[in-house]
Amino acid sequence: MTDIKLQARNVDVYYGQKKAIDNVSIDIDNGLVTAFIGPSGCGKSTFLRSLNRMNDTIADARVTGEILLDGEDIYAASMDPVALRARVGMVFQKPNPFPKSIYENIAYGPRIHGLAQGKADMDVIVEKSLTQAGLWNEVKDRLNDPGTALSGGQQQRLCIARAVAVSPEVILMDEPCSALDPIATARIEELIDDLRQTYAIVIVTHSMQQAARVSQRTAFFHLGVMVEYGETSEIFTNPREARTKDYITGRYG
Amino acid sequence: MSNPRWQTPAALRRIARRNAAERRFRLLGLGAIALSLGFLALLLVIMAKNGLSGLNWSFLSGSDSTDPHMAGVWGAAKGSLLTMLVTIAIAFPMGVLAALYLEEFAPRTRWIEWVEVSINNLAAVPSIIFGLLGLAVFINTAGLPRSSPLVGGLTLALMTMPVIVISGRNAIKAVPPSIRDAALAVGASKVQTVFHHVLPLALPGILTGTIIGMARALGETAPLLMIGMRAFVATPPGGLTDPSSVLPMQIFLWSDQIDTAFVENTSAAIIVLLMFLMAMNGLAIYLRNKFEVRW
Repeated sequence: MTDIKLQARNVDVYYGQKKAIDNVSIDIDNGLVTAFIGPSGCGKSTFLRSLNRMNDTIADARVTGEILLDGEDIYAASMDPVALRARVGMVFQKPNPFPKSIYENIAYGPRIHGLAQGKADMDVIVEKSLTQAGLWNEVKDRLNDPGTALSGGQQQRLCIARAVAVSPEVILMDEPCSALDPIATARIEELIDDLRQTYAIVIVTHSMQQAARVSQRTAFFHLGVMVEYGETSEIFTNPREARTKDYITGRYG
Repeated sequence: MSNPRWQTPAALRRIARRNAAERRFRLLGLGAIALSLGFLALLLVIMAKNGLSGLNWSFLSGSDSTDPHMAGVWGAAKGSLLTMLVTIAIAFPMGVLAALYLEEFAPRTRWIEWVEVSINNLAAVPSIIFGLLGLAVFINTAGLPRSSPLVGGLTLALMTMPVIVISGRNAIKAVPPSIRDAALAVGASKVQTVFHHVLPLALPGILTGTIIGMARALGETAPLLMIGMRAFVATPPGGLTDPSSVLPMQIFLWSDQIDTAFVENTSAAIIVLLMFLMAMNGLAIYLRNKFEVRW
């Protein structure tokens, strides 16, 4: 019933001479939340950013190996990184709404991709995206207020709505709750569970409890290597590798 | 305060010394401000005393004349206006585009580093050298009319552009990288990211830098000497290619006159120039507040 959405084959990522990711191969399935866990600096964010070529913006970053989206190599010359990022959206660690109105935050992506025919159509997209992000009821009366005036948790849901608005296929989340309080975190986690019906979701997290709560698959990274990948329940109850076990039991990290 | 560790003579002496240092610094800072404001006040008082009586309609609407009572400042003011128009029309787009390219698009190579150093050096080149350059390029080579606001504006644009590039780059650098990430992540191209998000956020800073650069250009005399704008011009320029003077040049010319009646004219012209500068600075503050984005 699951099918493979993203496939990485022998991926290395370099920053200049430094190898940040070493030979990672992983299949990411549709309809599931995949969590990347591991100690700081283990390369999980780096690997995440190579999945939608956000690393292209870093001058000396280099990716080798293959990353396939629906079987298509995303680093092939025929793949336009701009079109790719519309298909593989991203939510960042710190909420980063545009300093514009709530409406404009959502409408920007659909507008540059020509997804709406006219204002009425755009209104529908904005409402649908905000509803999907569980924010509609809180902001429907003040869509013209600046997005930056919302609380931290609302801002992060606004960023999720912004990502959803361009109808991506995959959503990458880079520690989306690390700047939020526990209540806002719980809301985002519920949201992630709802969203996985529609999108393949990859989430990087520092919190093992969060990985256990929201994900069905977990990959453990250490020093640029993917040590172990499997069902979340397996990883947390019965890890195969000693390093994984040490990490999840709090021996290091 | 009952903790005896803070009541020893040594501890009390330390606290007293710190408080004294605090007071000394406050006094010093206040003194520095008072001194610079004092000179400004002195300048304004002297100019007002000598010049206010000369500020009347015929002075404001007339042009240069050999007769101090007939001479007016309008010709020079109009020359300054036209010159500034040319300067901003050239220097602003060039400076902003150069700053955007250097900050957002240029690869970090040796060659780009060399370009950056050159632009920083350009901003520090003495203005008279730009005048010589303008004379050689615009007048002698391109054959543009001598003494005209067109050539003056082009020459001052060369001088102002590096200032705009430098302030523009700082303003662009101050835009948080997370905004670029946000735009790229919804599938905006690099150019869309820059023009939809980075430039609008950097604009208040760029405008402030631009107007400060323009204010400097407005007061510039030396480079315009070289391109012939010190000629005696008795009619206001009708267009960009007519011979003309500019305000600081008019002040320089009048201050050189033997006839003491020109002292009043000089001071009055200085008041007009200062008004110009204050208006520009006011505009800078207004634009900054208008476009500033609150986070």
